[in-house]
Amino acid sequence: MKRYILAAATMAAFGQVTYERLLKAPQEPGQWMTYSGSYQGWRHSPLSEINTSNVEKLKVAWVYQMPVTERIEATPLVADGVMYVSEPPSNVVALDAATGRPYWRYRRSLPEKINTCCGKVNRGVAVAGDRVFLGTVDAHLVALNAKTGAVLWDVKVADRMTGHSLTGAPLIVKDMVITGVAGGEYGVRGFLDAYDQKTGQRKWRFWTIPEPGQPGSETWSGDAWKQGGGPTWVTGSFDAEQNLIIWGTGNPSPDWNGDVRPGDNLYSDSAIALDADTGKLKWHFQFVPHDVHDWDAVQVPVLVDGEWQGRPRKLVYWAHRNGFFYVLDRTNGQFLLGKPFATQTWAEGMDPKGRPIRKPNIDPSPEGVYVWPGVQGATNWYSPSYNPKTQLFYVTAWENKGLYRKGAADYIPGNRYIGSVPEIDLAAEPGYGAIRAIQPKTGDRVWEYKVHTKPWSGVLTTAGNLLFGSTGGWIDREKTQMESYFFALDAENGREKWRINLGGTMASNPISFKAGGKQMIVMPSGGGIFAFSLP
Amino acid sequence: MRFVFLSALVAFAQTNPHTAAADADAGGKIFRSHCAECHGFRGEGGKGPNLTTGVFYHGSSDAALFKNITDGLPGTAMPGVFFSASQVWQIVTYVRTLSKTGSFQAPAGDPGKGKALFASKGCGGCHLVNGTGATNGPELSFIGSQRPVDFLKKSLQFPNDTVDQAFWTASATLENGTTHRGFVMNEDTYNVQLLTSAKGLLTLQRKDLRKYEVNKNSAMPAFRGTESELTDLVAYLWTLQRPRSEQ
Repeated sequence: MKRYILAAATMAAFGQVTYERLLKAPQEPGQWMTYSGSYQGWRHSPLSEINTSNVEKLKVAWVYQMPVTERIEATPLVADGVMYVSEPPSNVVALDAATGRPYWRYRRSLPEKINTCCGKVNRGVAVAGDRVFLGTVDAHLVALNAKTGAVLWDVKVADRMTGHSLTGAPLIVKDMVITGVAGGEYGVRGFLDAYDQKTGQRKWRFWTIPEPGQPGSETWSGDAWKQGGGPTWVTGSFDAEQNLIIWGTGNPSPDWNGDVRPGDNLYSDSAIALDADTGKLKWHFQFVPHDVHDWDAVQVPVLVDGEWQGRPRKLVYWAHRNGFFYVLDRTNGQFLLGKPFATQTWAEGMDPKGRPIRKPNIDPSPEGVYVWPGVQGATNWYSPSYNPKTQLFYVTAWENKGLYRKGAADYIPGNRYIGSVPEIDLAAEPGYGAIRAIQPKTGDRVWEYKVHTKPWSGVLTTAGNLLFGSTGGWIDREKTQMESYFFALDAENGREKWRINLGGTMASNPISFKAGGKQMIVMPSGGGIFAFSLP
Repeated sequence: MRFVFLSALVAFAQTNPHTAAADADAGGKIFRSHCAECHGFRGEGGKGPNLTTGVFYHGSSDAALFKNITDGLPGTAMPGVFFSASQVWQIVTYVRTLSKTGSFQAPAGDPGKGKALFASKGCGGCHLVNGTGATNGPELSFIGSQRPVDFLKKSLQFPNDTVDQAFWTASATLENGTTHRGFVMNEDTYNVQLLTSAKGLLTLQRKDLRKYEVNKNSAMPAFRGTESELTDLVAYLWTLQRPRSEQ
């Protein structure tokens, strides 16, 4: 009997990421159990073993090299000493988090033609109970046994032949696994889905583009809604108290030619808040009505219970691809603040409801129009961070402009439906990047750490008063520009405390956890997962 | 019978049936919306390889280009497409124009005189042609395959119009007053990497620099000569072709 109890207790403690544990994730700083570390989307580790006084001693503890050529965009998860990380395009490996040595691999056989906009990538898995969940580039959702990698179920979420793919990390909410979809460059009709963790049965679907007759359909004309876009390819956050899933939606399709879709095009480029049990929309806030610049709202919503103008309020912080930092009330989506955090030339400002007041001559044209930010935005999908100690918001920012062109947009199922292509990384004016600390009460910049090339990775803050981030690091076959520095900054003032060159593509997010009794910092680069600890 | 049928298919697949100017235009339109994001708006490269050099790393035949565009390249970020065969052939035709934008016909001018001019003007002092010359400017061994005639002419007249980053020059002054000058090989947040004439390849830390200036102009002087000399020089450059078998 005693032995049985012990076994049961052990079972519960190891490899059993329960919903209760996810709710209290910040109380288990040794783990990294969900995409952003916690439901609040903070990407903050409460660990302080590595801190401003000793971070200069940080050393490589182990490196795991993936047998892949695709870009790693995954945030690894760590639960009870095991790291679960996706290998692009749609594989998963379980590693010993202390040594980097693999336990098992799930390898998916994929059809020849996969149409993803920007590489066959994956941003990570979700873990719950003894299951690991993976969205695949052929638009399936797969449940794996967390101890062996065996397939428990495999359901088709959408049709890959029409440009649907799953690239984002799923989110666990209660007994469900929530997944978004990608395909905004292929004219998909976006949605957010909830599946039963045990059976793979779909519990609900929220269409981000309403059909005729539904609320919001008045912001569309004709049949444009059918290929209206609004994908959901970056993991959202969860407000358990209000039972609200808060998620960002992507661009309307076609991206740069809005002629076929007059109107605001709800709920593209929006924050949406859904009832977790029914998938019904509670509120929305559209950052960019009738977007023609591809400024997805695919950022992780940062949920903070803070003071707003003298009274406590439930807030969402959001640094958007369009160059503005927003504060919203997350009980109703009310706009509270919108202030540029990077150079932008498209809006005079915001009206009282947060609707941007557009400047003239900013829409793409056949000859091209220069607008700041460029098409990859002032930030993108990589994660921001909130540090409860400094109460500052941190974001990877881009200072760059783009030449926005408009062209024909013919819908051919499975092919790109974008309406020309803008020019970015203008050779003469490549722009630069920065890590910026923002005071969320005002939107003011507190400090910045400038980097030469524009970074494609997010930031992590820790209770050691550190911020981990990186410079650019992006494959460009014709140039030698790729720099791939991973660094630690003092979260108070942005001063550099440590850095290392990892030499490969940097297009992911750092995490922190404890393994082998030590705090680890992990960042992917190139084909490798790099783990750092103090000696 | 089946064998004959298959052979016919293979033969069909090896010959591009859509090579008219209108096909190139149609292919270009598809290219700009489907390929340019990685290969650049003018095929100059970016995330994907430069397509203007006439070198295709996964096969240079029409059949190879057709297959690679249709199916994509496993193990790379190159996806397949869902276009009709005719449309893919049009893309192939357009991609061919990127490395052969000018006429396939020899331009006007006397290449022999142009070659003499190339020598007498000292062009080899900076440019390499088939192993002879220096490398202070772009190699010109296959420039006739890589650039259209108009571009060659314009580059000679207005060298600053298009300068590859590899030929930008920098002047870096250290705190102690020493100045290094050279081509910018690479730059990052913390370092600049130069090819200097005095010290060869050199990495300098930005924090040690008092002054750092990059000159994006060409080191090449604009061509000074008669119109007919210019025509001859361009005619010579056009003859610098990649061997047909490699195209």
